[in-house]
Amino acid sequence: MLRFDRVFRDGGGFDSLLVMLALGYLVVFSAFPLIYNVIMSFQAVDLFSLASFDRPYVGLDNYREVLGERVFTPIFWNTVQFVGLSVFFQLTIGFALALFFQQDFPGATWLRGLFLAGWILPGLVVGAVWGWILAGDFGVLNHVLQSLGLTDGKIFWLSDPSVSLYSVIIANIWLGIPFNMILLSVGLAAIPADVYEAAELDGASRLHRFLTITLPLMRAQLGAVISLGVIFTLQQFDVFAALTRGGPSNASNVLQYWAWQLSFEEYRIGQGSVVSVLMVLFVIVVALVYVRSTRNEHAG
Amino acid sequence: MIYQRLMTTTAFALAAFPALAETVTIDLWTIDRPGEYHYVMAEEFMKANPDIIVNVRSVQFEDMVNDLARAVSTGDAPDVTYIDNPEVALFASRGLLLDMKPMIDASSVIKTDEIYPGPLASVSYEGGIYGIPRGANTIALYYNADMYKAAGLDPENPPKTWDELYAAAKALTKPDEGVYGLAFSAVGTEEGTFQFLPWLQMAGGDFNNVNTPGSVTALNLWKQFIDEGLASPDTLIRGQWDSTGTFNAGSAAMSISGPWELPRMSEEAKFDYRVALLPAPSADAPRASALGEGDNVILANTDQPEAAFKFVEYMYAQMPRVWNEFGYMPAYPVEVADPKHAAAYAVFVESMKYARNRGPHAEWPKISKAIQDAIQSTLTGQAPAEQALADAQAKIDGVLGQ
Repeated sequence: MLRFDRVFRDGGGFDSLLVMLALGYLVVFSAFPLIYNVIMSFQAVDLFSLASFDRPYVGLDNYREVLGERVFTPIFWNTVQFVGLSVFFQLTIGFALALFFQQDFPGATWLRGLFLAGWILPGLVVGAVWGWILAGDFGVLNHVLQSLGLTDGKIFWLSDPSVSLYSVIIANIWLGIPFNMILLSVGLAAIPADVYEAAELDGASRLHRFLTITLPLMRAQLGAVISLGVIFTLQQFDVFAALTRGGPSNASNVLQYWAWQLSFEEYRIGQGSVVSVLMVLFVIVVALVYVRSTRNEHAG
Repeated sequence: MIYQRLMTTTAFALAAFPALAETVTIDLWTIDRPGEYHYVMAEEFMKANPDIIVNVRSVQFEDMVNDLARAVSTGDAPDVTYIDNPEVALFASRGLLLDMKPMIDASSVIKTDEIYPGPLASVSYEGGIYGIPRGANTIALYYNADMYKAAGLDPENPPKTWDELYAAAKALTKPDEGVYGLAFSAVGTEEGTFQFLPWLQMAGGDFNNVNTPGSVTALNLWKQFIDEGLASPDTLIRGQWDSTGTFNAGSAAMSISGPWELPRMSEEAKFDYRVALLPAPSADAPRASALGEGDNVILANTDQPEAAFKFVEYMYAQMPRVWNEFGYMPAYPVEVADPKHAAAYAVFVESMKYARNRGPHAEWPKISKAIQDAIQSTLTGQAPAEQALADAQAKIDGVLGQ
């Protein structure tokens, strides 16, 4: 029989203690707000009843209202487009850059560091800078496009409902490339060079080597990067707040920004909670994919 | 003997002690930063009243309503604070603000019948007075006199009606030089409602009656400005400050904005800029203008109502200084000695007579959102003005409970 304090210092008790601490922190700062949010989505919440738990229960009324809103479907599809296009281009451009920087050339590390600028800058700063670039009348992008002869007139990137969402997506892609590039560089560096040499000796072309060696060995990494990319893109708020604020007439509005508008601009906190609960459900699915993909890393 | 002496000295000491401990503390929350209005007022007030201490705390403008609502429910709300005009009704309707009417009636400093009707309406709720305006602002038409002369227009005769405004904007727009005739803001936030409400009011409507033929005309005129290239399409996503920035840079010949632009304009605008009243639908139509700035309010659960009211009274009495020192328009007519930007100031003072409050209504944010949605869907071409305003009216009726 182990003595009491020895259990905590050396034995299984110590492990449980560490796990309990981590779990305790997660429960207080992650689980409790999440559950509180779910509860709020079933209540009639007001700006002034925020501090008390005692609020009228309204069942699924909030859900019915949100799903029945005329703007729900366009905002939902905007979100799908936002996440899909952002993650796809962030991944491909980030992967291309990671492959590019794999080849050591003078100045590679310095240049790679420069690409991190987008990741280091606060989201609002990125939004402000892109706001000036994308301005219709005096923006740099229009000036460049017109000087190169690619467009005739000015494109109103932020105020034209048909392009405002894509303008925000462009700014978001720029913001997310460094993250993808760094994680994929790590994965690429883990592939031993002799595998490539062996394949080259066997006569495989570069493309063939890429498809049969790089991609399969990077599968877990790619899975993780895509899942994290989706989760972080769903959290992306700063770019919307700085550029279009939901765009002309909800043309560039997405679920996460709409949830904030409902809760903090219109004070319809119950409905804001509904939108965030719906997003949480989707993120759970994505997170499951992430956990599965990282589990595969250990099985090597 | 010694015992008796000891007793008398102790008695005297105990009597003096409460007199020293009479200092009263009031908490003030403000959106100002150190050196700005509330900090200056607090310091001067404390010097004049050594027995009152004012603790000043800065809060961000966007967070004020949320922070205040939270603090009221948790019990550590301030005694005095500043809230924006439309929000007074929101807080007063919950019984969170102190009705100052009894104290005002007894006061020799504050006289509510001298306050301009717009600001007074914003602090009145169901017969009580729940705040005192600290200042006001409104909007008017800035115009570039040099561009007027170049286009053959008379700068002494700025547009007075909507038709004249349209004609002037058309004459002043020069697409080849990248100059728009008019700059304003139709952004999908409170600023858009702030800009559109005067047009709606001058055409005979108000926040509770947005679906009038006049409002349709106004909204269609806004759409015309953008569609015909007289105003930039970025008007839809730009606030007043950025839109007037294009005026200062010479990319717009006219701009609709408020007195807060003057400090920057006097530095950046290298032309003869002048101010005129907002044009009305026709020569005999009622005038209206927007009302901005906010009010000093006392929270209902304060434990120092007299000291708090004394502070509010003091600030009210400083109104003659607010223009020159802080850039706010006075909320009641005052004699300002040597006002800065005298010509512009005169026009804004005239505008204050017609300034009308947003609301007041306890659910103003929802009403404002309905109006913003109508503006945005019409200007983007998603719906005709009649449809958009009808939808807005339906939502507003829902909020008003009709």
